[in-house]
Amino acid sequence: MAEIEPVVLSPTVAAGEVARGTTWSTASNEEWLNRLTGMDGPVYDEAVGRLHDLMVRAAWHQVMRMSEASGLGPARRDEVVLSAADEATVSVLARLDVFEGRSRFTTWAYKFAILHAGVEVRRAVWSHREVDLHDVADRTKVGDSPEAYAETRDLARAVQRGIAEALTPHQRRVALALLVDEVPIDVLADRLGTTRNALYKTLHDARKRLRAALAEAGYLPDPRRSNK
Amino acid sequence: MTEPTDLTPGAVRRLIAVTDPWLSCDDCFDFLDTVVEDVVARGATMDPRFVVHLNACSVCSEEAASLATLIAPEHGLDPVQAQRALELALATGSQ
Repeated sequence: MAEIEPVVLSPTVAAGEVARGTTWSTASNEEWLNRLTGMDGPVYDEAVGRLHDLMVRAAWHQVMRMSEASGLGPARRDEVVLSAADEATVSVLARLDVFEGRSRFTTWAYKFAILHAGVEVRRAVWSHREVDLHDVADRTKVGDSPEAYAETRDLARAVQRGIAEALTPHQRRVALALLVDEVPIDVLADRLGTTRNALYKTLHDARKRLRAALAEAGYLPDPRRSNK
Repeated sequence: MTEPTDLTPGAVRRLIAVTDPWLSCDDCFDFLDTVVEDVVARGATMDPRFVVHLNACSVCSEEAASLATLIAPEHGLDPVQAQRALELALATGSQ
C-alpha cells in the first residue's frame, strides 16, 4: 500500500507528531479496527495516538484550504486544528461499529476531521458577526459584470417576486441568508438552534416552490410538460 | 425608501438550483468517503443524487474537494488531478 505523503504542519501542531515519532505508513482496515476495538493497553493507546495524528493532519489540510482561516492568525489556527482533531477522534471512536469498509479506514476517518475543522473555522470567523435574517431580496453584491446583470435582470426580478409571494416567511429568511447573503449553513444552523440537514431541507422545499412559481410565470420550463 | 436592486446572477443560480433527486447532508456525509475514493482511485461515475447535492450544497462540496485532495497521493494523483477528477465526475453526472 502506498505511503501517504507528509504535509507541512505548523510548529505547534507538528510538535505532537514528532514526539510520537509518527510514520504515515498505512495499516489495513482490519488492522485499524482490531487495534482500536481491542482492550485498553499500549496497542490501543498507540492506535488512538496514530488516529489522532491522522485527524490533526486532515484538520490542518482543511484549515489551510480555507481562505477565511488566514484572518484567524497562526495561534488560533492551531487551536482550531487541535480542537477539530480532538472532536474528530472522539467521533471516529464512537462510530467504529458503523464503519463498513466501503472505503479505506483512513478515508472514512479523514472526513470527520474535515467536517469538524470546517465547522470550527466558520464558527470562529463568524463569531463576532451578526447574521441578519431578511424578508426582502433587495441586495446588491459586487463581483458580477454589468453584462451578466443585464442578461438576468428579468429573471432576477421574477425570482424576487417568487421569493416574496411563493415562499413561507421561514423559507424566505433561510434562503436569503444562505443563498444571497452566503451565510455558511452550519453558522446559520448554530444561530437558529437547528441542524445543517434541517436547513438544507428547508432550502430544498423553498427552491421547489420558487421553481414552480417561475415555471408558472413562464420563466422556467414547466417540469410537468418536459417530463411528458 | 431606496429602490430594490436586482439579485446577482450567482444568487439567482443558487436560488433556482434543482435539488432533485433528493439527498440530505447527513446521507451525503455517510457516503462521502466511498464516493470520493471511487472517483479519485478509479475514476468512477457519481450517483446522480450526489451530483445534485454537491452542486447545490457548497459546504458538502468543499468537504468532498478537501477529502479528494487529501487522499490523492495515496492513489498516485496530485491534489490538482484529484480536484479535476471530482469536477469531471460532477460535470459528467449533471449532463
